Amino acid sequence: MEQATQTQVKPATPAENTPIDSTELHRNALDRDTKGGKQPKSFFKRLFKGRERVSADAGEKNNWKAWLYLAPSLILLAVFTFYPLINTIVIAFLKDYNYVTQTNSGFTLDNFGTVLGLVGQTSSQTTVYLWQCTKQVTDGVTHYYFSTSSGVLTEVYFQTDVIKYALPNTLLITFITVPISIIISLLISIGLNSIKAFKKVLQTIFFVPYVTNAIAVGMVFAVLFDSKGIINFVFGLSGNNSFWIDQGAGLGNKPAWMPMFALCVYIVWHSLPFKILIFLSGLQNIDKQYYDAAKIDCAGKWKTMMNVTVPLLSPQILYIMITSFIASFKEYTSVVGLFGMPSTDGGGTKNMYTIVYYIYEQIKGNVGYGGAAAVLLFIIIMIFTAIQFQVSKKRVYY
Amino acid sequence: MEIKLKNLTKIFPGNPKKGIPDTRAVDNLDVVVPDGKLMGLLGPSGCGKSTTLYMIAGLLEPTSGEIWFGDEDVTDLEPEKRGIGLVFQNYALYPHMTVYKNVAFPLTNLRIEEKVVDKAGQPVLDSEGKQEIKRRHLTKDEIDKIVRETARVVQIEPFLERKPNQLSGGQQQRVAIARALVKKPKVLLLDEPLSNLDARLRLQTREEIRRIQQSTGITTVFVTHDQEEAMSISDEIVVMKLGVMQQRGVPQDVYNDPCNKFVANFLGTPPINFFAGEIKGNKIYIGKEMVREITEKKVPDQKCSVGIRPEGIVVDPAGPFHFHVDRILTMGRDIMLVSTHPEAQSNTKFLVDAFVKVGVGDVAVTVKPHKCFAFSLEEGEKRII
Repeated sequence: MEQATQTQVKPATPAENTPIDSTELHRNALDRDTKGGKQPKSFFKRLFKGRERVSADAGEKNNWKAWLYLAPSLILLAVFTFYPLINTIVIAFLKDYNYVTQTNSGFTLDNFGTVLGLVGQTSSQTTVYLWQCTKQVTDGVTHYYFSTSSGVLTEVYFQTDVIKYALPNTLLITFITVPISIIISLLISIGLNSIKAFKKVLQTIFFVPYVTNAIAVGMVFAVLFDSKGIINFVFGLSGNNSFWIDQGAGLGNKPAWMPMFALCVYIVWHSLPFKILIFLSGLQNIDKQYYDAAKIDCAGKWKTMMNVTVPLLSPQILYIMITSFIASFKEYTSVVGLFGMPSTDGGGTKNMYTIVYYIYEQIKGNVGYGGAAAVLLFIIIMIFTAIQFQVSKKRVYY
Repeated sequence: MEIKLKNLTKIFPGNPKKGIPDTRAVDNLDVVVPDGKLMGLLGPSGCGKSTTLYMIAGLLEPTSGEIWFGDEDVTDLEPEKRGIGLVFQNYALYPHMTVYKNVAFPLTNLRIEEKVVDKAGQPVLDSEGKQEIKRRHLTKDEIDKIVRETARVVQIEPFLERKPNQLSGGQQQRVAIARALVKKPKVLLLDEPLSNLDARLRLQTREEIRRIQQSTGITTVFVTHDQEEAMSISDEIVVMKLGVMQQRGVPQDVYNDPCNKFVANFLGTPPINFFAGEIKGNKIYIGKEMVREITEKKVPDQKCSVGIRPEGIVVDPAGPFHFHVDRILTMGRDIMLVSTHPEAQSNTKFLVDAFVKVGVGDVAVTVKPHKCFAFSLEEGEKRII
């Protein structure tokens, strides 16, 4: 009886006067929620709106308090994040910037050109563009020549380390290590989540690499992959097949995939713990009922994983994908840790160069080039992140 | 298919170190659900009804006892091999799949056995001379046909391409039923399927469940703590308390003929009113007032608890039973007298027809004999009459 009276109570009248099916209303409300509707769309708009409301409520005079509370983090962010960030972009567009004397010779785009190997210099420090040069191949080595106004042919030197080594290596590292480490960490975390005994112990063990120093572990890997190291011993490798990381001028002909392989193994190993941590916490948030439902629906283990676990873990997978893409685009410490230098052939070529390694080396070189490379890397990361967000829109369920 | 539970017991182990005792969630339950019937498992929360359901589903392992589906002992069978459909309390629809995919998902896992025939349509025999059987997955077209057919039965055709979170509670509930029904299970299990719905939708949906159950003729077990819900759609109900079955029967019989105070109290809204009373000379007294004469049998004199159903009174100035009306609530069809009585355990509620003229103050009534029960004060509070 009490229930009967409750149902008599009319729901709040909708804005329109026409009667609306309650389910219809519900759906509309949902549509509003999911599609954004009239809500302020951007984060900044919402932030601004929130600020307006607060100041209207609390009065303008309280504003300084908010700024006071924000000050410590704002100051730190300004000094160590925003200033370097803006400065990097500025430096990237300055010619001959000297960070000691803070002098430069004006605006230029040549820094980008130099990094990409489009702008070269003659021995007399004249700037020449690639399309002004003539190409000559002698003995398999490409030379570029520029004829000056007086008709004298001078050789032009281009920086090719970024285009030839740093960029391909960075992309290679990213596209090899990111998918592999995600798959491995996903499998490990699913395994960890489904066992009961030793769960805490194993969790700790798997997390250990995260708290170890990258350089120190890199040196351990260098020992493992040494030509007389345990890897070669276990797999019985010798001769040309055993030089994973060894350096020396005499080893110039060994294939570059071997050090790259060792590098990728190390990067994957070192990046697992954080991913496992995130995936485990995600797995623990998945309602057990979905697994019960899958059992009732006769789904096997593999099918349950692909149809229930992975989709419900998709927010974590997206997060991990984006962060690890960014991290591996910035890969550099692993190269230092494993090889000590960007080269495995005694410095003949920079065959293990990465973009950030190049940027780092420009402290001793030309800071403008470093700034330009940093801006380029920033753009590359932006593009990849945007692509990932776009692709994931349909696949990620929140 | 008939479901038989034999001495079913589930004990959740406690932790002796921390002094947590074992929990006997289900205690020696013996129930038979007849083929094609809808059985309601009813009881307050914590009475073991959901545990029972999950044991039937195979998601929980019984501590002891047996579960039989027809002539097959399924006690140790995996849930996926039992051929059951289960609707979870909060539906557990896969949130990332559309309604269509949710409903189709069980079918994609299903493997059917098919007799192998040659091009001429003649059965192919294996080396032992038996009909050769091939196991295969369903094709996309077959799945599509079954999904749409099921969607029609539960009326979710318009939402097939939506995601579960774009549906209302009632629609989600029907999707959950469709998913449970789609592989044509032998047994349908529903775990508090209506508890997430609002009052009006609840009325609608329980009719719906009844309709679907009757049109498919599937043996159904239904768990609820809402007695009204269980009584309105079940063929039979089982009332449980702390893991022990109290009473089983056709809903109206259980209501009319409760076996103990717990069952009497649990069934009916508003609930039955209890008074401290006494049986003397085959008559039931509340205080000094005689409310019922026992004619059926001889009952020894004793103190007892007297229960009177809210609808069990007739206003009659000459009536033997008096109480004080504090408030009158108009319910439309009836009016409710919220009253006090010195022997009552709490406020009492009585229902009388709306046209009866009653005012606040003392009122005299006669008590309908079949709406008045006496319960023993001893452990178990068995019904005396």
